[in-house]
Amino acid sequence: MTRVVEVPTHFDDRTFDQFARSYGAPGEGRVLFDAHATQWASPYGLVGLLVAGQAVAEGGAERPLLTVPTERDVAHYWGRAGFFAHAKELFEIHGKVPRVAPAHSSDVLLEITPVRGSGDVHGVVEAIQERSAAILSGELGLETSATMGFAMALSEACQNIVEHAGTSGWVAVQTYTWRRRLGRRVVVIAVVDAGIGFRRSLEATQLGRFGDRWGDASALEAALFQGASRFRDPGRGQGLSGITRYLNRWSGKVSVRSGTARIAIVPPWDDDVPLAEGLPPFPGSQVLMIIPAPQAT
Amino acid sequence: MTPMQRIDLKAILQRTVSGLYGDLVTRPTGQAVRGGVEEVLARIDGEQVAVIDFTTVRCLDFSCADEIVGKLLVQHGRVRFFLLAGVSESHREAIESVLERHGLAVVAWDREGRLQLLGPLDDLFRRAFSVLSRRGTAGVAEIAEDLAIPMEAAHDALESLLARRLVQFHADRYAVPAP
Repeated sequence: MTRVVEVPTHFDDRTFDQFARSYGAPGEGRVLFDAHATQWASPYGLVGLLVAGQAVAEGGAERPLLTVPTERDVAHYWGRAGFFAHAKELFEIHGKVPRVAPAHSSDVLLEITPVRGSGDVHGVVEAIQERSAAILSGELGLETSATMGFAMALSEACQNIVEHAGTSGWVAVQTYTWRRRLGRRVVVIAVVDAGIGFRRSLEATQLGRFGDRWGDASALEAALFQGASRFRDPGRGQGLSGITRYLNRWSGKVSVRSGTARIAIVPPWDDDVPLAEGLPPFPGSQVLMIIPAPQAT
Repeated sequence: MTPMQRIDLKAILQRTVSGLYGDLVTRPTGQAVRGGVEEVLARIDGEQVAVIDFTTVRCLDFSCADEIVGKLLVQHGRVRFFLLAGVSESHREAIESVLERHGLAVVAWDREGRLQLLGPLDDLFRRAFSVLSRRGTAGVAEIAEDLAIPMEAAHDALESLLARRLVQFHADRYAVPAP
């Protein structure tokens, strides 16, 4: 029997929980990820879809199926963003896969890139510095120092996968003009993995501190606001709090979803909630960072 | 003047990790580079100021800052003078975060040639250091006079800075380490 997981028509961080609900718990039968009606997907949606496929594969189930968006432009964008290059390793793909090579353009700052080890993190940092400097300082009008902080934040988010997930993950970076939502250019960064999640990663060092309160939400809170780490080394655990400080300085947003909870630093321009609990469970962790162009004065 | 040993971090990065890399990112990279720095330290006189040079480093993340600055100071900072050189604004952010975490301080030259004390420190210590860096060298009396504080307070501040290897002491005068 085939179980259908619907990919939302408009697939981004705002519809991710809908996708997670449809993804559900591992069960019997083959999984079909149905994206045929998808009209748009953000980097967060695309890497989230890869993670879902990866989690099915790593769970030992039969290779999942994936239907390609029927809308030509949508499928082409997914191709340019590097989605199909990785999806073909994880899914049995049905539908017409466009023959476009993954390539960075003025919008795709970093095509979907796997993060498996520290060498990949070096590659990501190298690539993003080359490609993002002009966009961040030119188009977004951020100070030059923002570019380096951007690379630093990206490095820490990717290392989180290498050091804590227990499996590999994905990163993608793109710029948009959010006309309706914000009226400004933004850079959107998505870093996701299909690993053990924050609760399990931190359990050995943090469970005693939290007792009955321990769960996905308290694990995220400990990591983001208290610099908690699964290592007992006092120098560990600075990455996520460093990311938070960086995003705060540039009026950016960071949200981290893991298990059944999501925690966010919400800037004034966004209407997300700081903490969401009781969400549909989803494997690993999903980090979203959004940096907007400064408001014109 | 105390002799100095310049340690180019990018050269160490390329020797110990990869000739292709230009950024100090990831913890394994930081551990390898710290190992390379410690090899150099083992070869030089303990009285020499070790100048850790960031000039050619582009990106420094928190993990590398912790390995290269934090752990180096934790392990060697009580017995050796360190000076960070070529520190950019973004390097500084990562370094300050690490120093705060470990309760450490270090002397740094930024890319405009300004001498700075990085890390959490008492305001009086900072002011004493500032006077000292402006004068080059000074005795307790000069610091007390410039800061309008009692001699004993000036003496305590300078000795605290000396104990943390943030200033040097020669011939009854205190001095900031300078490249």
